[in-house]
Amino acid sequence: MDQKVVDELARIVGDEFVSTRDDVLLTYSASASIGYDSVRPGAIVRPGSTQEVADILTVANKYKIPVTPRSGGSSLQGEAIPRPDGLVIELLRLKDITVFEDLRSVRVGAGITFGRLDKFLNQYDLWVPVYPESALVCTLAGNVAVNGAGPGSSTYGCIAEMVLGLEVVLPDGTIIQTGTEGNPNAPGPFLRYAFGPDLTGLFIGSLGILGIITSVSVKAFKKMHHFHYETYGFDRAEQTEKFLMDLKQNEIGVLFASIYEGEILSFFMDMVEVEFGIPKHEWPPFTISAILGRVREDQLKSDTELTKRICEELGGHVIGISELPRGEWDKRMWTFARTSYLHGWHWRILYHHQTPSNWHRSIEEIWAVMDKYGLLGHTAGFLTGHGSYNFYPHLYFDPQDREEEMKVREAHKELAQRLFKTGAVPFKLAPYWIEDVEEMKDYLNLIKTLKRVMDPNNIMNPGIFGEM
Amino acid sequence: MTEIDLEELMENLAQCRRCGICRDAVYEDMGFDGICPVWKNTAGFETSFMRGKLMIAIALLEGRLEKTADNAEALYSCSLCGNCTEICAAEFDPTKSLELARAVLSDIPNEVRDAIAERILTTNNPYVTDKKGKRDWVAELGFEPPTKADTLYYFGCTAGMKLPETAKAAAKLLKAAGIEFAVLEDEPCCGSVMIRTGRLQDAKENAKKVLESIQESGAKIVLVSCAGCLKTLRKDYPEKFNLSMPKVVHFVEHFLELVKSGKIKLKPLGENVKITYHDPCHMGRELGIYEEPRDLLKAIPGVELVEMETNRRAAMCCGAGGGLRSYDPELSKKIAADRVREAENAGAEIIANACPFCEQNLESGAKLIDSSIGVADIVDLIVDLIE
Amino acid sequence: MNKRIVSELAKIVGEEYVSTREDVLLTYSETASMAKDPVTPGAVVRPGSAEEVSQILQLCNKHKILVTPRSGGSSLQGEAIPKPDGLVVELLRIKGITLHKELRSVTVGAGMTFGELDKFLNQHDLWIPIAPESALVCTVAGNVAVNGAGTGSSAYGSIAEMVLGVEVVLPNGEIIQTGSEANPNAPGPFLRYAFGPDLTGLFIGSLGSLGIITKVSLKTYKRMHHFHYETYGFDTAEQAEKFLIEIKNNDVLPMFASIYEGPVLSFFMDMVGEEYGIPEHEWPDRTISMTIGRLREDQLKSDVRKAKEICEQLGGHVIGISELPQGEWDGRLWVFVRTCYIHGWHWRTLYHHQTPTNSHRSVEEITAAMDEHGFLGHTAGFLSGHASFNLYPHFYFDPLDREEEHMIRAAHDELATALYKTGAVPFKLAEYWKGRMEGMEDYMKLLSAIKEALDPNGILNPGVLGGI
Repeated sequence: MDQKVVDELARIVGDEFVSTRDDVLLTYSASASIGYDSVRPGAIVRPGSTQEVADILTVANKYKIPVTPRSGGSSLQGEAIPRPDGLVIELLRLKDITVFEDLRSVRVGAGITFGRLDKFLNQYDLWVPVYPESALVCTLAGNVAVNGAGPGSSTYGCIAEMVLGLEVVLPDGTIIQTGTEGNPNAPGPFLRYAFGPDLTGLFIGSLGILGIITSVSVKAFKKMHHFHYETYGFDRAEQTEKFLMDLKQNEIGVLFASIYEGEILSFFMDMVEVEFGIPKHEWPPFTISAILGRVREDQLKSDTELTKRICEELGGHVIGISELPRGEWDKRMWTFARTSYLHGWHWRILYHHQTPSNWHRSIEEIWAVMDKYGLLGHTAGFLTGHGSYNFYPHLYFDPQDREEEMKVREAHKELAQRLFKTGAVPFKLAPYWIEDVEEMKDYLNLIKTLKRVMDPNNIMNPGIFGEM
Repeated sequence: MTEIDLEELMENLAQCRRCGICRDAVYEDMGFDGICPVWKNTAGFETSFMRGKLMIAIALLEGRLEKTADNAEALYSCSLCGNCTEICAAEFDPTKSLELARAVLSDIPNEVRDAIAERILTTNNPYVTDKKGKRDWVAELGFEPPTKADTLYYFGCTAGMKLPETAKAAAKLLKAAGIEFAVLEDEPCCGSVMIRTGRLQDAKENAKKVLESIQESGAKIVLVSCAGCLKTLRKDYPEKFNLSMPKVVHFVEHFLELVKSGKIKLKPLGENVKITYHDPCHMGRELGIYEEPRDLLKAIPGVELVEMETNRRAAMCCGAGGGLRSYDPELSKKIAADRVREAENAGAEIIANACPFCEQNLESGAKLIDSSIGVADIVDLIVDLIE
Repeated sequence: MNKRIVSELAKIVGEEYVSTREDVLLTYSETASMAKDPVTPGAVVRPGSAEEVSQILQLCNKHKILVTPRSGGSSLQGEAIPKPDGLVVELLRIKGITLHKELRSVTVGAGMTFGELDKFLNQHDLWIPIAPESALVCTVAGNVAVNGAGTGSSAYGSIAEMVLGVEVVLPNGEIIQTGSEANPNAPGPFLRYAFGPDLTGLFIGSLGSLGIITKVSLKTYKRMHHFHYETYGFDTAEQAEKFLIEIKNNDVLPMFASIYEGPVLSFFMDMVGEEYGIPEHEWPDRTISMTIGRLREDQLKSDVRKAKEICEQLGGHVIGISELPQGEWDGRLWVFVRTCYIHGWHWRTLYHHQTPTNSHRSVEEITAAMDEHGFLGHTAGFLSGHASFNLYPHFYFDPLDREEEHMIRAAHDELATALYKTGAVPFKLAEYWKGRMEGMEDYMKLLSAIKEALDPNGILNPGVLGGI
């Protein structure tokens, strides 16, 4: 990168926090996204304040330098891979946390991870009840930018549902605050839908193309201390799917519920049975591992009883093995990373959503693709929100086997197209989802129009949505 | 003429804050399934329902809109059914206010309105420029009722001229029940439509004439078979024209008493005949007579009373009232057809009613949509059932 | 309006559904917004489909005709007052309801009111638990465009929280579908956050200035049948405010909870005390009228106990008069309209939100304004979601007293400034917020830029969105 630019950056953040060293650039050339090509940026900058981010973007705009915002570097779908000779803006130094007990909310800088926030809120007996798989690595701001979900989402939905407002630096360096905090006189974040069209949403799932989120305000809830861990067995996919919808429909506080097919469950058991201390069991064709949680104990009891009744009415049975859901929930900030890496494979993931009643369609397509390409992988997912189900299938490859990796990439793309046809949708867009989908051209045009007006020089994470 | 307090009218009109609830409120708990039949059966611009009509009325009264027949169209495209008054949350009666506004604005040209008034004033009926025919049904009775008696059957123009079978049935019923009754030699029209369309002064003169005729008959009780006559004679004459009327009773009310007290007994109409009852606006919303006709129908052996989606205070109108049937016959019939569909949806074989004016329009509505549903006055239904 | 354009419009929608009649135009010159000057449009058109709306907007763009979308015409803050010689596009003919039972959602055309939808859903023992004050008049789509709230919002938030996607006609005539239905293969609406940045939010609270919503997809819930109606008395505003926050913190489900100050409650009692059958009572300084609702009776009982416990811990007392909340809740589709109009005054409202613990600041400002200008009014409001409180103060004037009306207009606008300074925020940016939001210039600049990008000719409801 041009030294003049680097000097200007250094003036903004201080020499210490800019780097063009080869070794440094190399470490920013990839993220946790496996099965993606590395790209070497031209410089890294680690701003310490929103104003610094604004100043950096002003410079980047002046020189038309492509910018890749990055925080935990834990995203799995290539969201933070830089552009050649581009600038990576790494936000981990933005570390503030402010709790607003009266407003039931908390505001965190873009460098705060879920783990750190959880520890902080625990002092107040509060929490933000949605935990992405990479909770110990990823920042809330980064998670909002990719709109993540995880344990807790079965009740509360994706992280978007927690957001009360964002501080965003627009590509031209303007600093915007959305939500109630848009009013500088407001006591803090208490409402997302303030001041007209919901501009907050524009940045949720935006993958950093419309601005850099420097601060996130989210809802805080009284921490739950009453949980019930249970597994429910079913013979047919249909019953299993219906069970999840009935739980939602009957207002059960189901914090996290996953469907495991027999085969996939055996695979998981091989991996974590001993670690979780799960007893041996002849698992049924379909198992639901569920955690019910409530603020009050009597509510939990009521939920537990009704859940059992719903299960049995559908022809299922309560399995009585609590260690699986307990393992998932109690260690929710680590377990999922564990099961992602424990087996030694590398993999590509294809996050997507179905409605639970369409769960089996994703399963069918994932198996079909694995069979076609001769790949291993899994089909796991969990209930998310009002009527959706979040799949995170992994397609495995041997990191030493380049050919297999390329096969996985190809399979991944085909799977996206096949899933799209089943009615699946991604939280966030990636080009492989809707390339060549005629019906979505106007939709994409609208995003492009917004991108053009907000980022006329197209410096922000260009290409991440496909060519704009 | 009868004095209209213009200031009060303007104050009342100002009570409309244009909330729009009078358009199409569907409120299951209160039984409403839509409000304005005109809105529903026209192109549906704001002028078609009460909010817009009142805006037009105010503008005409304040001189912000030129007083032309076109600009007054909205005022007259209304059956004054009063459904909007039932749902209205403000402290005024929009239907009555519109009726009064028509009266204040009666200088705006309206040929239909004036022709009807002219006929009523000259020939005692709103239909033809000829006095002949209104009493023809009497000749077919087989007996000649007197012109003076304690009980007067005030049969009304529609029964007399359009639905003579109903008039005959009513007379036969009275005879069967052993009630001695009179029929006027030259019965004047009650003038309801003049009141509704704003010819208030003429209506008042006409009312005096009606009262005189009634007094001449020596009647202590006036029996009517028409909801319009009922409301006009019982409520409008005393309230609007300060006339002191003898007791005015609808056939349904009267015969329900007779059935209840066991004075007459009814034979079965058939087996499980599904009948629904259409509430005439003048009887229901205006006078609160909802249960009597239903009770009478239920008293007929073999009748299963079924209710339409909208009934009683939330009942949709047949579309005939307020001068609408004359002002815009096509619209009026479309509204009736809607009501017929509602009856069909309720599974009814017969729409019973207690108003020849409703009956006439419901029949037109049924014809419009080729419905085979029966439309019958309660009087027609029970006339042959008296044991 | 130019005859040629009118005949073009007639070609699109049919002669019957276009009008330039003087009387028709007059009736579209105003809405339920009081103390707003009427503006006569040039034509009114009543399209029957999104496709027709699209053609109309293309035509208007070509001829630069200003468009005002309108449905129920029940908005109170001047959102649907036309432009001189402009075109009113009235959407009530766009009907249609599709229930997606297995997705827990429903799709309605722009002409469907809450009353119609509620009746429809009731057949399936379902509901959308939020009803705005004008539920029998306003359409769901119109309510989404102004982002309304009402009964049910204390538990479920504003209508925005129900939305799973919208079909929207952009100013250029393109028809966009957001949410999971953007995927033409999707089984229906099951997730709002699909396909990247949340475009749905862009149209929520947009006051029809960014596009015309022709269809809305919403969450449905199993209909509740268990309610508890109670009044809670407190000596101070602080206790009452804290009560609401604690109710939310402890997962009590308040379907509708309002704070009434003593004098305002007396005024309400004078109006509706008898209609509701509310016994005479010496009301305390602050009364909270609350309906708690639950699907299950045992949960309800638990909530009732908890609410009492919280009330008493805060030094309040359970009043034991249930008729007030019961009147509000059971009659929710009508009684709020009733209390708006029963008293005979005309009024202006000033919807805004505070966090509950700051709601006394609004009451102070409103009372001060009433004292200063010498007008009557009220200060009512209700809990609306996670930690916000929706105030809807009314400022009364005699409709026949022009001078008083103008005083109210001035006082209203002044009060908006004063409330902003207390930290209040509006859901939507009604026109009068223009120039009253010191410190939000950059936010408004972004909004303007988006408006300009989507509507370069500025044809769609210009000026209405905070002056944009």
